Amino acid sequence: MKTRQWPIVVAILAMVLGACGGGDAATTAGGTATTDGATVTTDGGVVTTASGGGGAAGSCMGIAAEEGATIVFSGWGDETEQQVYRDSITRFNEACPGITVDYQPVPADFQTQMKAAFAGGEGPDVIYVDDQLMTALGRTGQLLPLDDFMAQAGVTREEFIPSLLTIFTLEDQTYALPKDWGTLGLIYLPEVIEAAGIEAPTGDWTWDDLRTAAQAIAANTDVGGFCQGADWARLAPWAFSHGGSFASEDATQAMLTDAGVIQAATLVADMHEEGSLVTAADVGAGWCGEAIGKKLVGMTLEGGWMVNFMNNDYPDVDWSAVSVPAGPEGKADVIFTNGIGVNAATEFPNAAAAFALFVTGRDNQAAITETGFAYPTREDQLSLITNENDLAISEGGTFDLTRVAFWGSNSGRVNDAVSKALERIFLGEQDVAAAFQQAQEEAQLALDEAA
Amino acid sequence: MTQGERLMASTAAPPARRVKKRVRNETAVAYLFLSPYLLVTVVFTVGIVAFALYISFTSYNLFESPTWVGLENYRKALADTGPSGFLRSLVNVFWYVITVVPFQTAIALMLAIVLNTPVRAQQFFRTVFYGPSVTSSVVIASIFLWLYLKTGVINYVFDQTFSLFGAQWTAIEWLNDPRGLFQIIANAFGGDIPSDQWLFRGPSVTWLALMALNIFTTAPTFMIMYLAALQDVPPTLYEAASIDGASKRQQFRSITLPMLRPVTLLIVVLGTIGSFQVFDQVKILTSGGPLNTTLTPVYLVYSEALGEVGGGSVIRMGLASAMAFVLAVIIFIFAFIQRRYIESGTEQY
Repeated sequence: MKTRQWPIVVAILAMVLGACGGGDAATTAGGTATTDGATVTTDGGVVTTASGGGGAAGSCMGIAAEEGATIVFSGWGDETEQQVYRDSITRFNEACPGITVDYQPVPADFQTQMKAAFAGGEGPDVIYVDDQLMTALGRTGQLLPLDDFMAQAGVTREEFIPSLLTIFTLEDQTYALPKDWGTLGLIYLPEVIEAAGIEAPTGDWTWDDLRTAAQAIAANTDVGGFCQGADWARLAPWAFSHGGSFASEDATQAMLTDAGVIQAATLVADMHEEGSLVTAADVGAGWCGEAIGKKLVGMTLEGGWMVNFMNNDYPDVDWSAVSVPAGPEGKADVIFTNGIGVNAATEFPNAAAAFALFVTGRDNQAAITETGFAYPTREDQLSLITNENDLAISEGGTFDLTRVAFWGSNSGRVNDAVSKALERIFLGEQDVAAAFQQAQEEAQLALDEAA
Repeated sequence: MTQGERLMASTAAPPARRVKKRVRNETAVAYLFLSPYLLVTVVFTVGIVAFALYISFTSYNLFESPTWVGLENYRKALADTGPSGFLRSLVNVFWYVITVVPFQTAIALMLAIVLNTPVRAQQFFRTVFYGPSVTSSVVIASIFLWLYLKTGVINYVFDQTFSLFGAQWTAIEWLNDPRGLFQIIANAFGGDIPSDQWLFRGPSVTWLALMALNIFTTAPTFMIMYLAALQDVPPTLYEAASIDGASKRQQFRSITLPMLRPVTLLIVVLGTIGSFQVFDQVKILTSGGPLNTTLTPVYLVYSEALGEVGGGSVIRMGLASAMAFVLAVIIFIFAFIQRRYIESGTEQY
């Protein structure tokens, strides 16, 4: 038995030694490559300017990537999204042939798995980052600041739609770059609008116009007027356009009892009370998008995901979108975004950063936008969106008052307090003032405990 | 010094010594065979519980080293009387345990007795009744997600049944109805219980719906245990009793129930532990809502430990561990009381 184990031990030893040797070799080679790059550009040894360096081994996105680097890339996503990123990797391989990308998508429970993987020191080199992972990983030094690499690649923070970087910025350092984003628009069924005998919605509508139209639909047709659930994200455009916010800019003070939020919530509560606003469950749908597909309501607030959803599930239903209605302070929308970040413990920081920068970069964003999968993160590329409805919805990203509902590391709890307040109002448990007073206390506790 | 070594050191007579040596060898061999399991237990159970106990006295976010905070986590958990706090979850789970355990035990016994009588297609019925238990709870929960819809089958059945008697059934949104049981009763008498008095509202409609789901899935498991135990009851007892003129009901009360006592203890204790740890149905169907009426301790522990409270929060592994230990102590106390209570009557048989 003892002798039998020897081959295994030898094999393990060989593997360990082999791995070490390989690592050393790569580092040396990488070092050589950077020297070459510097020589080519004759720029006083400044490695960073080797971007156009005529195919110097390992130079990618202006970053001197480690030669022979293999990086693991993980994100969530269904088959469509996975294909988008497999295509992105193909493009990356053409641009940077020296780096191998091992794509390992995790479709379910991504955040949980990433927290566990990073805690065990086994995190992938490049991952999707959302507000939850930014809290768990970004704030604890598990992600690599990308600013130096951005400078090398000539990417500036200013080229992105301003609020997209909110989540990923910590003490002036950028820990991830937005990979795409979404926002809400006013979705409606033209046939219902027509049946109700009203004018079709336009981008100039105010919330009062929306209310009048919803009342008309509820009165003149047998479907619901406007569909909206007890959801913080759906209240956000109402609240922001009334000059409100869920919390202060520095995420220390909850602002749920301020006039803006209360006015917006009162309007929503009144519409619910009079029956012009219904929830998806009221009309027997799982969510408001489905209620549109099933023609159970006339209007709702949903985002770009409606395009694929309607094409797949309700291809025969004719629907349209305009940007969200305006409030007394102007137009405002809420932005949802996820980014791509780099593991601080990666063996190949340069290659990993180069990949993150490439995927979120201008060229790749343009290519992804062409597929209709997501909105580009740079405002000047918004014109590349081809679908009319997507174009209308994406306008929401450009309003001055538009923002990400991010309030520091306990954002989820703050937003949840808003959803719960709306739930209590819709259920008739509390009036607006009492519900938001309670939400204010819960949100303040969450902000205090965020540390 | 182990017992064996002490024996070796003693000056016993050679024959006795040989016997003791054999005992020692047998012990050593036993431990040798047990060692793989013991090692796994020590590392993955004892070690981890000890680590969790340590973590419960610290502030820990998985990535930065734990900082000692003493009893702060326990204080925070037990002092949180808010509508989404740990005490709320304990009250919820208390309603759950006192409803689910008696019902599932009674239903399991009833099913077992029915299936123990020789009926046609007995095996078929046993298989059918056991179905819900062999199905993954995630799958069952997903199916109930549809059944419990406002436009779902359950409301439809109620609606049809009511209309048979000329009554009107108002469709209930089973998985999103925070009205408490006592609140509904109070409403029927024209009163109300305000939302800050949630303690007195009783279990919500949604919570009752989850209880029904859980009874449906767990009762068959315990039915199998009862079925096995029923077949162990000597038929001679029933024969003797019927010769003495005991009725079926008397036989059930005086023979069947007492003979099943040890199994009943097992079922009640297992049922209680399982009910206190209810998690998967909550995670899939309600996420603790509506208005926290289905928030359970384990769901709270999970959310705090992974930083998923409300969809994104700071990871508080220490607080989660503290809550887990409080729950463990409560489960232990319940199991202990049940054991004393149920076993107290066994000796006489």
